[in-house]
Amino acid sequence: MSWFTAMWIVLRKELVDGLRDRRALFSALLYPLLSPLLFGLLFGMIADKQREAAQVPIPVLGAEHAPELVAYLEASGATVTEAPGDLEQAKAAVREGELPFVLVIPPEFGEHIATATPAPLHMIVDGSRNDQRPASSHARQLLEWYGAKLARGRLIARGVDPAVAKPLAIQDVELASAEELALNILAFVPMFVLMATFVGGMQLAVDATAGERERGSLEPLLLNPVPRSAIVVGKWLAAVAFAVVCVVLTLLCCVLVLEHTSVSELGLSLDTRPAVLAGVIAAAFPMALMAAALQVLVASFARSFKEAQTYISLLIFVPMAPAMIGMMSGLGDSPQALLTPGVGQQILVEKLLGGQAVSPLEFVLPVVSSLVVAALCVGVTAAMFRREAVIFGR
Amino acid sequence: MIVARDLHKRFGSVVAVDGVSLDAADGQITGLLGPNGAGKTTFLRLLYGLMLPDSGSVRVDDLDVVRDPLSVQASIGVLPDALGLYPRLTAREHVRYFGQLQGLRGGALEDRVEALLERLDMRSIADRRTQGFSQGERMKVSLARALVHGPNNVILDEPTNGLDVMSTRAMRKLIRELRDEGKCVLFSSHVMQEVSALCDVIVLVARGRVVARGTPDELRQQSGCADLEDAFVALTAAKASPPAA
Repeated sequence: MSWFTAMWIVLRKELVDGLRDRRALFSALLYPLLSPLLFGLLFGMIADKQREAAQVPIPVLGAEHAPELVAYLEASGATVTEAPGDLEQAKAAVREGELPFVLVIPPEFGEHIATATPAPLHMIVDGSRNDQRPASSHARQLLEWYGAKLARGRLIARGVDPAVAKPLAIQDVELASAEELALNILAFVPMFVLMATFVGGMQLAVDATAGERERGSLEPLLLNPVPRSAIVVGKWLAAVAFAVVCVVLTLLCCVLVLEHTSVSELGLSLDTRPAVLAGVIAAAFPMALMAAALQVLVASFARSFKEAQTYISLLIFVPMAPAMIGMMSGLGDSPQALLTPGVGQQILVEKLLGGQAVSPLEFVLPVVSSLVVAALCVGVTAAMFRREAVIFGR
Repeated sequence: MIVARDLHKRFGSVVAVDGVSLDAADGQITGLLGPNGAGKTTFLRLLYGLMLPDSGSVRVDDLDVVRDPLSVQASIGVLPDALGLYPRLTAREHVRYFGQLQGLRGGALEDRVEALLERLDMRSIADRRTQGFSQGERMKVSLARALVHGPNNVILDEPTNGLDVMSTRAMRKLIRELRDEGKCVLFSSHVMQEVSALCDVIVLVARGRVVARGTPDELRQQSGCADLEDAFVALTAAKASPPAA
């Protein structure tokens, strides 16, 4: 029997076994659903808040004293409502949280406007309430725009160029492209995708190695006339298959959440053309090879199933650490960084999803390094499977 | 045919197998009898090549276990100490998986699996997952996967451990059948009755050494005891204490 045939028999058996293992399936199928949903929910909430702020009605007390101001507010898209009763009642309503704020226009407002002296307006707010701040600051913004409009009119009436009263012209120049800006906030899409390489095959890797030994089925298995390396590679590739499925599902879930929920209203957009997504999967694939190889190695080394699970859950820091560093200070794209397994993939996936061009070298370097690590791990594991202490447990 | 010559194996400072030789012929049942901790399991592991001896040699059907382990494993069927099964695979899938790993394919494989399920009376459990199988059922699955390739040599490590009367009888019947088919059967036990009821040749081991060998009658003669159990005690005790000067 050829080495490949033996490997294929083991691989197929491990896949069947894994598909029937509820724990293995859960980690491969639930993770892709859970994480994007979580952050979809989070960003959806932020987007909702922003939208709500823009739509909040402006409760006004004494609207009859400034019909022009009210008209301006309504023309700007705000809904002006009449605040209940008198000043005391309005204060009580804000204090109780019934209204986010109340704009009070005193009777002398029109008089001051007419004489071009500062016209008083009162905003009744409760500064201790964070959730109402967006609403009141939106109203304040509108009022300031109204004030600026009046000022311009007065200057022109006095024959003065309004520009004189505007000595500074501050403009934000945003360097990051819209996609890059989005990626800063959504930097954890790459992290989610790359973590999937570790989550997907985790259970299967433990079960096929430490689990196999703990059940006492490793000894009978190794009694078959099959090279140990074929057995190890079969188990490894089964874990890789689970990891890759997990990666693809995670990516699809992320894309769906980004495109079909209120997240898109934040103005965040990722490059989600099919070619880019295929590139992301191609970049993550060697990482899956490496993740499963690390897991198979660590799990074979562990004395028991439980010990293996503990070690392997620590391995998840391998993809998390570079993502965290990347979010805080950026990873750069030096060849050394690209050659560091885990870091290279993070850079690559970030660039791809950020809509940046990726050079062939940037694609190849991380692939090479993770393939080297994977090959080393599989080789060491196969060697370990020849050691009596590993076969029979210590 | 299994021929072992002067096998030694130690773990750290513990000597597990200390110069054991053995000839297990085809068409015979050879029983490896010894108290717990005598080194039986380690000795068997040396025979089927999952452990390497520190010194000595093992030949199975004239193939060297150390030099050619894969060929040897194709010609022996082993019921090891550990009867681990895959809880999510059915009994039939276990036998099929091991048959495939032994190189069987297609119709030949299915015929062989079918025949074994029939022979070991496993029809009713064939397509159940092995999770929750009784000890007897687990033993049957382990046996079936050990015999799926029709090996000429069969090594059974404590095959009746934990079995009830019915299963024990079925196991004895199977062992005799294998012998009658001309196979070399080697099994270990610490139960006197087990060995005396079945074996053509008994090899008595204690503390990693062979203390006596021969037919049950020869053992009785050697020890001077009429009862085989007394002979067992006498022989293991005699060699265990240092010989008188």
